[in-house]
Amino acid sequence: MAGLGDCEFLVRRARELVQEDTCAARAWLITARTLYPQDFNIQYEMYSIERNAERTASAGRLLYDMFVNFPDQPVVWREIGVITAALRNDSQDKQTQFLRGLFEALPGRIQCDMLLKATEQCFNTLERAEMLLLLLRRFPETVVQHGVSLGETLLEAENIEDQESPVNCFRKLFVCDVLPLIINNLDVRLPASLLYKYLNKAAEFYINYVTRSPQTDNQHQGVQETSDLLSPTKRNSQKYIIEGLTEKSSQIVDPWERLFKILSVIGMRCEWQMDKGTRTLNDVFHRVKDLCRYITNFENEAHAKYKNQVVYSTTLVFFKNVFHYISSIQPSLFQGPNTTNQVPIILLEDISNIYTEVEQTPGKHIHKRRKLAESREKTMSSDDEDVSGKGRNRHVVVNKNDLANPNEVLECFKIARECWDLLHSTEALEKEFSRICLPWKTDTWLWLRIFLTDMVIYQGQHKKAIASLHHLAALQGSRSPNQQIIAQGALEQQRAVIQLASCHFALGEYRLTCEKVLDLMNYIVPPVQESARIQEDPSKIKPKFRKGSDLKLLPCTSKSVMPYCLQLMLASLKLRAFADNRDDMALGHVIVLLQHDWPKGENLFLKAISKICQQGNFQYENFFNYITNIDMLEEFAYLRTQEGGKVHLELIPNQGVLLKTSSNTMGLLQQEFIPVLQASIATNDRHHTVTRGITKGVKEDFRLAMERQVSRCTENLMVVLHRFCINEKIILLQCLT
Amino acid sequence: MSDIRHSLLRRDTLSAAKEVLYHLDIYFSSQLQNAPVPLVEKGPIELLEEFIFQVPKDRGSHTKRFSAMQELQLLEILCNYFQEQNKEAVRQVIFSSLFSPQGNKADDQRMALLGKLTSMSVAVCRVPVLECAASWLQRTPAVYCVRLAKALVDDYCGLVPGSVQTLKQIISVSPRFCCQFITAVAALYDMSSEELLPPHNLLEMIVSWIFDDPMLILITFLNTPITANVPLGFLDFSPLMGLVRWCVTAPLAYRRKQKAAGGQLPVESQGLYSKLHLSMLQGLMVLQTHLTEKNLYGRLGLFHFDQLVPLVEELGQLCDELNPLNAEQEMELALDRLAQALQVSMATGALLCARDDLRTLCARLPHNNLMQLVISGPVQPQPAHPSLTPGYYPHIHTPPLGYPSLPAHPALPAHTPIPAHPAVPAIPAIPGHPVQTFMPGMAFPFRPMR
Repeated sequence: MAGLGDCEFLVRRARELVQEDTCAARAWLITARTLYPQDFNIQYEMYSIERNAERTASAGRLLYDMFVNFPDQPVVWREIGVITAALRNDSQDKQTQFLRGLFEALPGRIQCDMLLKATEQCFNTLERAEMLLLLLRRFPETVVQHGVSLGETLLEAENIEDQESPVNCFRKLFVCDVLPLIINNLDVRLPASLLYKYLNKAAEFYINYVTRSPQTDNQHQGVQETSDLLSPTKRNSQKYIIEGLTEKSSQIVDPWERLFKILSVIGMRCEWQMDKGTRTLNDVFHRVKDLCRYITNFENEAHAKYKNQVVYSTTLVFFKNVFHYISSIQPSLFQGPNTTNQVPIILLEDISNIYTEVEQTPGKHIHKRRKLAESREKTMSSDDEDVSGKGRNRHVVVNKNDLANPNEVLECFKIARECWDLLHSTEALEKEFSRICLPWKTDTWLWLRIFLTDMVIYQGQHKKAIASLHHLAALQGSRSPNQQIIAQGALEQQRAVIQLASCHFALGEYRLTCEKVLDLMNYIVPPVQESARIQEDPSKIKPKFRKGSDLKLLPCTSKSVMPYCLQLMLASLKLRAFADNRDDMALGHVIVLLQHDWPKGENLFLKAISKICQQGNFQYENFFNYITNIDMLEEFAYLRTQEGGKVHLELIPNQGVLLKTSSNTMGLLQQEFIPVLQASIATNDRHHTVTRGITKGVKEDFRLAMERQVSRCTENLMVVLHRFCINEKIILLQCLT
Repeated sequence: MSDIRHSLLRRDTLSAAKEVLYHLDIYFSSQLQNAPVPLVEKGPIELLEEFIFQVPKDRGSHTKRFSAMQELQLLEILCNYFQEQNKEAVRQVIFSSLFSPQGNKADDQRMALLGKLTSMSVAVCRVPVLECAASWLQRTPAVYCVRLAKALVDDYCGLVPGSVQTLKQIISVSPRFCCQFITAVAALYDMSSEELLPPHNLLEMIVSWIFDDPMLILITFLNTPITANVPLGFLDFSPLMGLVRWCVTAPLAYRRKQKAAGGQLPVESQGLYSKLHLSMLQGLMVLQTHLTEKNLYGRLGLFHFDQLVPLVEELGQLCDELNPLNAEQEMELALDRLAQALQVSMATGALLCARDDLRTLCARLPHNNLMQLVISGPVQPQPAHPSLTPGYYPHIHTPPLGYPSLPAHPALPAHTPIPAHPAVPAIPAIPGHPVQTFMPGMAFPFRPMR
């Protein structure tokens, strides 16, 4: 056809001219188009020139013409594909911005048609959804037709593509982008059941989004960001990316706020009892509590709407407060700012009163004291009692240095507990709540488990707490252990063990307490300085509270945990040590432990001394290994004197029967102290072999040992006590059998 | 009138000039209340000639002349008068009475004063004066218009370097004036000789105006009553024809100049002509939109077929003249541009003629592929897309190039449909006929622009 030849000629002339004289090329094409208005190549050539020159208006105009006149040209589709991709893109580069401007230059109707047609051509669900979203956002009238079907497509896609986590690209688009369009468009009529389904999906998404663990994003971050990890400020601005989405699209600002908005819009559409001016999630909870006051029978079908209101509102308030509580006490669980450098905090029974308690009890009435102690054991644990009555208002001691906003944290803890109680106050509510939780697999949520454990600990239900703690430990173990140990200190992973020790103690299970404590010691690095000063603060603050019913939030550091552990051991052993049955080993251990926080335990020490005096003799072959307290050493030196009562002390290992054990101990000691005590130990050893069994030498040995011990007074006591716990684990546990 | 004259005679020259304006303002204002178009009688014109242009009325009276200072004051008086009179009709009548050539000895003074007044108004941005001048350029024989254009070009493009910027900025306040000015300039510099090539800075300014807004060349056309015919010896309604002449003859005219001077071809200017040529075609596309919107497409041309004849002749002469100089490239470019201008003019409805007419017209021009294609017309394409109005590209949301879209005239009666294909005009009979005969008795006075 000659016409084709003409068109080719015209386009070729234009192409030849483009570089040296664009204006001439454009003039050729204008002419060509008036000659052959139906020729696609001419128009495409015109468009290419305008596009390459980034002349938005004229390029838009030409694109419009091509779109209208040549709807079947693949080149046009490719171009529309490129433009719609630019619309979905966050990129700010010039080309992308031009393409966006080009699209904006088109008339609305054409934008709408273009997006719809581009959507039809798109077979990737995600891209298709993003394209439709562009349409729905720009043209709200299209929401009625496409909104719900898009939402359903996304929810289906999530299932088809077998997404493990609810935080996936499909759900994100549904919850954050599509759902608000649907529910805020009053022309879209939806049945309540669908609205509740959507609310459920939204809640599951947002809760999982805010509580996503930092590991997941390491996978997505890739290697290039690792250098940034060093700087804490950079870490804050680190971007989380949901697979399949762009960085911008993955960022969700104020997730709770958004969830709350969805809740209130859906609540409105489901005709809940709502205040117009509800501002916060906590306001919602107050409304729900009011509602519960006059509706008691949620089984009634007529009240189904209110049951949903109560359950959904309370559930969301519950999870939000649990989240805030956990993000304060165990921030490293979640992705977010300041997580790496914050130490977790653990809720424990406060036992800082162990010294004072004994001090009040006269030494003679050991029987009575023991009974008191037993009764106390009972009161400390309230597993069998009515939960609602007990443990309602227990005081939780927090050191200001450990937590920036203790009142807020405790308030969240309190509201979360109230929500839990409300959700379990009737069978109907409980059923509904577990119906929500089951598909969410909330029982695998470590953070929720931590809260539930803390809740029962707070309520003093220590048996339940122990069960919960085993559950927690299992959950923790199932998370990839390597990463955790690398990510944080080893001790921080021992939350469950520390709480177990505390709970066993509260139940009077002293051997289990000590077992846990001695396990913990493997993870503890003895602090360089003694922490007596820190220990002092809380005991000053809370004198008016009931003994044994206080709790404390303790930072999970060696510096804080080790003293707590020592106190637990002391408290566990002292009953045995001061029992009627003579137990020198236990008494010796107690004396070793009393060195900590000296002279707080001075009264208890004096009680021990008087017990030794009564006995007339005392055998504790670890004495010189672990007792470095000068006051104690003086006291024991005095006991041997005439004035002291000439007590027979067997404190050197080879003096007694436990020869084997003690020489082992000696061996260990030797190894560790060679740099310091090399000379004296060497003499000692030689001396022992020569003088074994000869009583004459014993006196001399004791004097030498005492002298050497005095020189050890400046040793770090925590190091000594830590070694005590590690080395004497077996005999420590033996005493509690 | 004679009473007024007597009172004025007693005054000094400047206050008499001021007074005469005052009296005539009252006179025309009251006239305008009675009749829409006031009758300009001889009396007022004579008064103005005597007291503003200082033409002695009686043979006996001595010739007075304004001093340079007085003249400047007079210009200020005039400027202020037009600035302060807010009735446009009155301004127009006064301006017309002042500056319409009367074919007498005062015309030289008239033109001199008009040149100075306009130049001053450009400098101090007196928009009402420029608007009056735009109308004056439409109503006045081209020979006078060219004189005004020359005065402005002398003042702004030659005298002080860089002063062209002042003139350039006028586009933002009075596009109508600019449009008329371009038409006059295109008539002035017709490229017929070396001296009549436009100065570079003038060309640059005009190109930048039109390139930024190709609609500019249509302003006068779109604001003129449809029935109006351009009387012989007056400026066109649009600078289009003059500028097309520029673009078409430029490659050869500059080549001729280069031959004479033996120097290089000014490449810069050639780039400007290319831009200008593109803008012409774009302007024509805009015209098509307007014609179609008003259902005038195919009925009202922008220029006449006859106007092409001298252009084609001149081009033929230039080709003959330059042929021995190996000016093939320039000839090719000139012919390409002519062919493009003809094709787009026909397609957009600016030129109403048949392709056969072109064949005769261009018979003596050298061969050119595109011209051949344009003359023989496109190969008849496959059946037109049903949804497409051929050759008509509707607006996107905003009217092109920032102009408000023109409301379709409500009084427009229904007409036969638009021709099916622009390349084959449906009215092959009209060429040569006056366009206006197709609009008998149309109540269609103005196409309002802004």
